[in-house]
Amino acid sequence: MKTRTTILLTLSILLSLSMVLSACAPQPAAPVDPEVIKETVVVEVEKQVEVLITPEPEPEGPVTISFWHGYNADVEAKYLDEVLIPEFEAANPNIKVQAVLMPYDQFRRKLLIALSGGTAPDLARVDILWVPELADQGALANMEETLADFDTYKDEFLAGPLSTNLYQGQHYGLPLDTNTRVLVYNKAMFAEAGIDSAPVTMDDFLTACEKIKALGEDKYCFADGGTYAWAVNPWIWSFGGDVTDAAVQTSSGVYNGSETVAAYQFLKDGVDNGYIHPGILGGGVDAWGGFATDTVAMLLEGPWFPPLFGSQFPDKEYGMALMPAGDGGSVSVVGGEDIVMFQQSQNKAAAETFMRYLLSEDVQLKLASTGQMPVLKSVIESDFVKNHEFFGIFLEQLKTAKARTPHPNWSQIEEVMTNTGSNILNDVVGVQEGLDLAVEQIDPLLVIPE
Amino acid sequence: MKINRKKMFKFLLFLLAAAGAVIMIFPFVWMVSNALKENVFVIEYPPKLIPDAPSFGNFVRAWTSNKFQLYFVNSAITAVTSTALTVLFSAMTAYSFARFKFRFKEFLFFTILLVLMVPDMITIIPKFQLVKTLGLRDSLWGLIVVYVAGGVSMNTFLLRGFFESLPKELEEAMLIDGGNYLTVFFRMILPLSKPALATVTIFSFMGNWDEFTWALTAIDNPLKRTLPIAIYSFQGQHGTEWGLVFAAMLIALVPIMVVFLSMQKYFVSGLTTGAFKG
Repeated sequence: MKTRTTILLTLSILLSLSMVLSACAPQPAAPVDPEVIKETVVVEVEKQVEVLITPEPEPEGPVTISFWHGYNADVEAKYLDEVLIPEFEAANPNIKVQAVLMPYDQFRRKLLIALSGGTAPDLARVDILWVPELADQGALANMEETLADFDTYKDEFLAGPLSTNLYQGQHYGLPLDTNTRVLVYNKAMFAEAGIDSAPVTMDDFLTACEKIKALGEDKYCFADGGTYAWAVNPWIWSFGGDVTDAAVQTSSGVYNGSETVAAYQFLKDGVDNGYIHPGILGGGVDAWGGFATDTVAMLLEGPWFPPLFGSQFPDKEYGMALMPAGDGGSVSVVGGEDIVMFQQSQNKAAAETFMRYLLSEDVQLKLASTGQMPVLKSVIESDFVKNHEFFGIFLEQLKTAKARTPHPNWSQIEEVMTNTGSNILNDVVGVQEGLDLAVEQIDPLLVIPE
Repeated sequence: MKINRKKMFKFLLFLLAAAGAVIMIFPFVWMVSNALKENVFVIEYPPKLIPDAPSFGNFVRAWTSNKFQLYFVNSAITAVTSTALTVLFSAMTAYSFARFKFRFKEFLFFTILLVLMVPDMITIIPKFQLVKTLGLRDSLWGLIVVYVAGGVSMNTFLLRGFFESLPKELEEAMLIDGGNYLTVFFRMILPLSKPALATVTIFSFMGNWDEFTWALTAIDNPLKRTLPIAIYSFQGQHGTEWGLVFAAMLIALVPIMVVFLSMQKYFVSGLTTGAFKG
């Protein structure tokens, strides 16, 4: 009996304790008021008097804004922490910036959890593909409403990168940096195979591949890491095809249209003839390693390639050229990052100040020196960019480059594309049949429920 | 003939064990060899185990890079505290399951086992909300509390079996001589259970030291991050300097080695603990 009473007693104590604790818990939310006051301090400096009158004067100090990013750790993030932020804080003594480097492939998950928990950062540098998804969730501040001078401000940016921020006709972010893929070719292998110049058209590309294959069974003309959109879309677009129609309403007749079929057929023939390294079938391939050891002749690469590849293989000679042109022209894929402000931000004004700082001509030019391609029209015209050793070819390619379908369900659509491409190249399904099946899966994903 | 066959069998076993050892050690050797090469963005194929110009540059760069030492200290604080608390709490829980009679004992034990079977990833959002409500988000305590809570169930299970195998008579003698249960627990049970406790310590230290997902989710402040996140951040979006990543991993391996080697003599005997009852 005694033990039972003890257990009951313990249980009831535990229960009441947990109730007390849970009653305590919401209280940390109480200091919302001081925060609001703090905000007024920043927005309108003249009203400092107000703070002095409040019963519990908060020590007036700088507001801290958080900025999450995935800059690479050893160059870009270091530059941000050691040069850009100190400079900004010196110029804006009442704003402190807490920059948080996120491991890139965990970034999206971390953001989504933080959003669900109400602990999102003020600003984030996000992949251009995430903007529609985040905007669709209502997570992002509408730039057209947040920035008073948006109508004139937007004209300072390159149109292509700016358009990656569009969701239902409104801009939910601003471009921060941009990139695209161009053809990188192995000079030693081209010389050995007797190819004089980089292929300009798809026919040139095929001719080059025949010559490369003649060098040996283990020599490949081209390599890529898989059948995801980043790899496949340049081919689809250059053949004149696309994933959806221009209005992003349907993929029928487009993704299974004759142009897209031709693009996939081209890739499939490439794999069957041994021109394209089997790594594209899935599982990936160490394309850079193959390129360095003269087993792969051509790659599609972004502006990070010269510095990163060059530091390990400083003596390897390569050339860069535009994506080979097909019926649709020479069309590559736009990559890059946008900067977005979150609705949950308590310090939107301070966040805006930092955002404008990162997008200023001066900072864009500085970031360009770390390999980030600028997005401001004025910076593109600058001598630094014009005389840059490799930005030129990327800027040329960007003129025709396209962005992947801006849609909140994009990641699911891309999954369908990746699987379809893999099935086609692995001979699981015919080209037309595979794309027909894919269209059936993609079309329902394009419908956004109200 | 018979002896020959026995010898053959032994030789085969030896070969198998040697092959196993090589397979286990190879990735590690490879990691060391790559850590000694600078500017490795592309891992060489076929692998070259002895680098042309070995250098410790990567280790120096990793150790002196952005706040690496701070993250090391954060990891150490978190892992040591959580491990100590995990061992203490699971030993206490296991002891009460092993020795005391109370209502719903087996039901409670079963509940603990049930928790063990829920994958961590499933509970990550509830955990996040809970820790946030408790005001522990963005602090090392938020990590410690979750690690301890997660570690107690497995280790209770492991230790209960071991405690039940200890002779009850010793305990009774101690109680008759005037000791209470606390003295029994601290003076007798814990000292007698060194092998089991060593096993629990090693496993929970390894788990807490390496944990990545929760640490990334719960911590926003870069000054409170732990080592796995720092190492992961060395991987770039477009190109990763593997030499640097491997060097950082090797540095992170040192504390685990220290814990393991210092408890090794208990460890092997502790491994089978809980396999047999009584």
